[in-house]
Amino acid sequence: MRWVDLKDSLSNFWFEFRRQKTGILGIVLLIFWIIIALGAPYITQPDIPDKWKTVWIDYPKTVPPTWTGVFSGVKEAPHLIIPPDELQKYVTQSENKIIIDIPYNMEYDVPPQDIVLMNISGKSKGRLRPVLSLKIKRPDGEEITLLQGFKIKGSTNIQIARDSNVRRRVLNWVKMKTGIQIDPNKEFEYMTTMDTLRVIFAKVTPDMLDKPQPLKGEYHIIYEIKLFKDTSVDISHAELVLTGRTYGYLGTDDKGRDLFAGIIWGSRVSLAVGITTAVLSVLIGIFYGVTAAYFGGWTDELMMRFQEFMASIPTLPILILLGTYFGGHIQLWQIVLLLAVFGWVGIARVARSMAYQIKEQTYVEAAIALGAGTGRIIFKHMVPQLLPYAFAQMALNVPGAVLAEASLSFLGLGDPTQVTWGQILHDAQVAGAAVNGYWWWVIPPGLAIALVALTFVLIGTALDRVLNPRLRRL
Amino acid sequence: MGLGKYLIIRLINALIVLSIVTLVVSALFVKVAEKDLQSRIQELVNAEYQSLTQRGRAPENVTAWQEERIAYYRHLYKLDKPYWWRVLYYAKRTITLDFGNTRVPIFGTERNVKNIIALALPRTILLFTSAQIIVIILGLLLGVKAAQMVGSVFDRALSILALVTTSIPMWWFGMMALLIFAFKLGWFPANSMPDPNLTGFAHVVDVVRRLVLPIFTIVFVLFGGWAWVTRNIMITTMQEDFIMAARAKGVPERKVIYGHALRAAAPPIVTMTIFSLLGSLGGAIITESVFNWPGMGRVYWIAIQTNEVNLVMGLTFISVALYLTGVIIADISYGFLDPRVRVGASARM
Repeated sequence: MRWVDLKDSLSNFWFEFRRQKTGILGIVLLIFWIIIALGAPYITQPDIPDKWKTVWIDYPKTVPPTWTGVFSGVKEAPHLIIPPDELQKYVTQSENKIIIDIPYNMEYDVPPQDIVLMNISGKSKGRLRPVLSLKIKRPDGEEITLLQGFKIKGSTNIQIARDSNVRRRVLNWVKMKTGIQIDPNKEFEYMTTMDTLRVIFAKVTPDMLDKPQPLKGEYHIIYEIKLFKDTSVDISHAELVLTGRTYGYLGTDDKGRDLFAGIIWGSRVSLAVGITTAVLSVLIGIFYGVTAAYFGGWTDELMMRFQEFMASIPTLPILILLGTYFGGHIQLWQIVLLLAVFGWVGIARVARSMAYQIKEQTYVEAAIALGAGTGRIIFKHMVPQLLPYAFAQMALNVPGAVLAEASLSFLGLGDPTQVTWGQILHDAQVAGAAVNGYWWWVIPPGLAIALVALTFVLIGTALDRVLNPRLRRL
Repeated sequence: MGLGKYLIIRLINALIVLSIVTLVVSALFVKVAEKDLQSRIQELVNAEYQSLTQRGRAPENVTAWQEERIAYYRHLYKLDKPYWWRVLYYAKRTITLDFGNTRVPIFGTERNVKNIIALALPRTILLFTSAQIIVIILGLLLGVKAAQMVGSVFDRALSILALVTTSIPMWWFGMMALLIFAFKLGWFPANSMPDPNLTGFAHVVDVVRRLVLPIFTIVFVLFGGWAWVTRNIMITTMQEDFIMAARAKGVPERKVIYGHALRAAAPPIVTMTIFSLLGSLGGAIITESVFNWPGMGRVYWIAIQTNEVNLVMGLTFISVALYLTGVIIADISYGFLDPRVRVGASARM
């Protein structure tokens, strides 16, 4: 085929394809996904795959996206980080005392989840350690001491929301202020399940433990560090994190990981696995089928028996088995290989029957008569005839591969070094996201899988209609 | 070649394939399970030792005792035999339908593999086969309807719906259904385990309520694809000459579609029906785990997770056997449905 012919057939093809509206939509979607996949390091951060394996400490856990407030009408505190250089502005340092007094304007219906002082490190030469206390000064003039006599050893992060001492102090403070009595059972329940910060940031009412109403206004978060002889505290890297009730475009999961970043990075794996698997399995299938048809007789019989054998193996169970065989996690290239090994079967059968028809054509006979070799006839005369079918099949095979990879990852057999949508859903399932109502964790990855699959279904059906006019159906 | 001979050849063929698959699975899984078994034996022996010491009957020669116990368990789990012997042993037993017992009871107290399958299969039939029947009926009706009015709004809407629903992972849709209908709206229970305290009619209502979400999920994800394939097959058939002839004869349109076209389009549709009905017996590993449905797929998953060689072998054997049965039934039914592919005596008619 000469270059002019190729150009001509391409422009012919494009002329036909242009009229397929669904195909064009598919192409647009494909371009969108390619941009997302290639741009992942620039849209989010480049170190997400490494970071994904860890717990993101300074991020809120299982919180919905920020834009949910627009629909629910409840203003929830967003994630707020006060970086070290800004924090320094609030520090007053004297010889044996460091006071960090951070003003915080609480204007939300739901206050932050937690107040975390990150990367504070204490040094001491003797037995005495620097001691920290934490007070919250409220707009109504009240003051709650949350921590007192907290010894700083080495480099630590100080969280308060789940601390039982803090809870006890808050409970005592509430009892003192409202004068309510709490029976011991109830008190135990509060000690384990209380949303501490909601109470701290609530109006003083008798039912503030059960139905806290937010008290808006300016609060002061005051850390006081007492220094003794031979002790010192380094707060130059310290930062304050007011863990939000909402985060980012798509919220976070139970390890605090930003799901938006996960979705963006997951597109890479999905596209790569889907496309490579589809191309590989279609190529194998076409060659297998053509070879079987070309040789015919016993070879054909044997090859078809093997094809039957492959077809009758239940794919998913065997993939799971192989997953366990590989030590519980299948690497990405192994997934591609395995899916290709099981993916060519159906195509081989169709390719064989198509090749049988082609074999009877006079030009193949002519080629044989001219003494052309097996390879030449198969590759030069028979396979090109099947290419239109092959291209359409490649596109139509991508969704299956994408779904299969997602399914394996969903079962927890995926590649742990990669961020994949299936794994995000696996984590969601493990955390019971569906029954706990963490919709932002369940919906986006599945939608993304469905959208990638849809992209290729659209392209594939349009290609099928253009390239295989015999099958054209109005 | 007569039909009987043809059938026998097909059957022998299927049996060969079945044996090879069993052998391969056996080879694979015996290897997987070996490591796990070894560590389990170590644990068992350690636990035994602990309990003996607690009762003050600690063996005098600890290493000798341990070796003796380990050897006992290795013999019990056939680990003292060479790898290939075990592969052949499990394959042979499975092929002769002797599925054996599991080491740890599944579904409460059941250890016999055949009984476990007998417990799980009806549940899977209740869920997947009934869902599949709904899918087939719905898909056929909608597909034929769409083929009747090609290019109409209904046809286009159905095509788009089919393309979209086939792209959805079924298990994800199940999670969504749970999220919306079980969590947000609270219409249906989130767990598939029926309430053991209910009996009689209340029990039936309870089970039905628990079935709604999974069945809805399966039907929603699958019916579009069915409808679309039916539509495509029907359209190709409707373009054939004999349809035109029938119409020209003045045969009523209803009869043309259901009598002539659908009959001619039957072979591929029947094949699809056979395969999906038989395939539904295997359940779906992931969908069942999402809904916590204790059917075949769930058992398979548990079996692989706990390295129950016997159970995995039995389940694989059954699903492969079902698939091959499907192939043979489809082959035979082709002969009855399509006169062009008849073999044997009926071909001479």
